[in-house]
Amino acid sequence: MTERFSYPDDREAASAAQVRALEALLIEKGVISGQTVDKVLGYFESEMTPLNGRRIVARAWVDPAFSDRLVADTPKAVAELDLPVGMAGAEGEHLAAVRNEPGVHNVVICTLCSCFPWPVLGLPPYWYKDPVFRARAAREPRVVLTELGVPLDDDTEVRVWDSSGHSRWFVVPQRPAGTDGMTEDELAELVTTEAMMGVALASAPGAGTR
Amino acid sequence: MSGDHDDDFDPEAGFHPSCVGDVGRPEFDAPWQRRAFGLAVALSEFGHYPWEEFQQRLIGAIGAWQEAPSDARGRWEYYEHWVAALSGLVDDRGLLEPGYVMPEDREGGVTHAR
Repeated sequence: MTERFSYPDDREAASAAQVRALEALLIEKGVISGQTVDKVLGYFESEMTPLNGRRIVARAWVDPAFSDRLVADTPKAVAELDLPVGMAGAEGEHLAAVRNEPGVHNVVICTLCSCFPWPVLGLPPYWYKDPVFRARAAREPRVVLTELGVPLDDDTEVRVWDSSGHSRWFVVPQRPAGTDGMTEDELAELVTTEAMMGVALASAPGAGTR
Repeated sequence: MSGDHDDDFDPEAGFHPSCVGDVGRPEFDAPWQRRAFGLAVALSEFGHYPWEEFQQRLIGAIGAWQEAPSDARGRWEYYEHWVAALSGLVDDRGLLEPGYVMPEDREGGVTHAR
C-alpha cells in the first residue's frame, strides 16, 4: 500500500482515519458524491434485512410446492415474492437455499471470508467472521452445534455449506411442531437469523429459544 | 489457533451470547467499520470494480493474516482486512489518479437507457 498518509499508532484510530481520508479523497476527485455512501448504507439497513429471509422461510413452511421450487432454483423462487430488489453485485446473486429435514441438518459457514447472503439475512453477526468460529465449524460442526445448543440425534446427518463467490447459502429450518394454526406472518416471527444460518433451530412460541 | 483473539471468544469456554440471540446482534463495532463497508459496496455498485475483485482481495488479506505466525500478527480485526483490501483496490484501479475514467464514460462500459 502506498504511504499516502501518516497514521496515529492506535489501530482503531488509524483505521478510522484511513477510511475517512479515503472517502474524502474519492469525493474530492469526483469519483463519488458526498451522499453516495449514505445512500448505499441506507438501502442496506432499511431493505436488506433478515426480514426478507423470514418471509421466504415462512412461505416455504406454508407452501410445500414453493419450498421445492426454492431449493431447486433459489433466485427464481425468491423473485416470486414481493421483496426489495437486490443490489446487483452486493452478494445477492447466487442465493442458494438448503432445507433442513428429519435426519438432515444444514450449517452455513465461510472458511475464507464472510460471503454472507446479505439480501435475505442482513449483515452477519461479528462472531461469524471470527477465524476460530469458521475453522471449528468446518472441522467439527457437530461439536460446535452442541455448544450452540442445537440438539442433534446421532443419526442426523450434518451438512456443512461453505459460502463462496458462487453460492451464498441459507438454511430453511424445519417448521416447529405446534404451529399448525399460525398465519404466515406469525410464522415469520419464529424464524431467526441464526436458524437461517443453521446454528439454531426455529422454535414455537413458549417452547424456549433452544 | 490460539492466543491473540478477543478474550470474549474463547472456544474452550463456549460461544459468545450473541450467537444464540437474534436481538441486538452487533453488526459494526465502530462507525468507521460501517463507513468502510458502505464505501466498498458503493464503489462496486457504481461500476468501479466487480464485487468479485474486492472479494478476492479480502480473501487474500485474511489468508495472509491466518498464515502469519500468531506472535507476529496483530489481534484479529475483520474490518482492518476489509480496509486493506479496499485501499489496495482503489490504488490498483487508479481511482484517485489524474485521468481516471469513470465507468459510465468507458467504451463498452456501462450503457445508459435512452
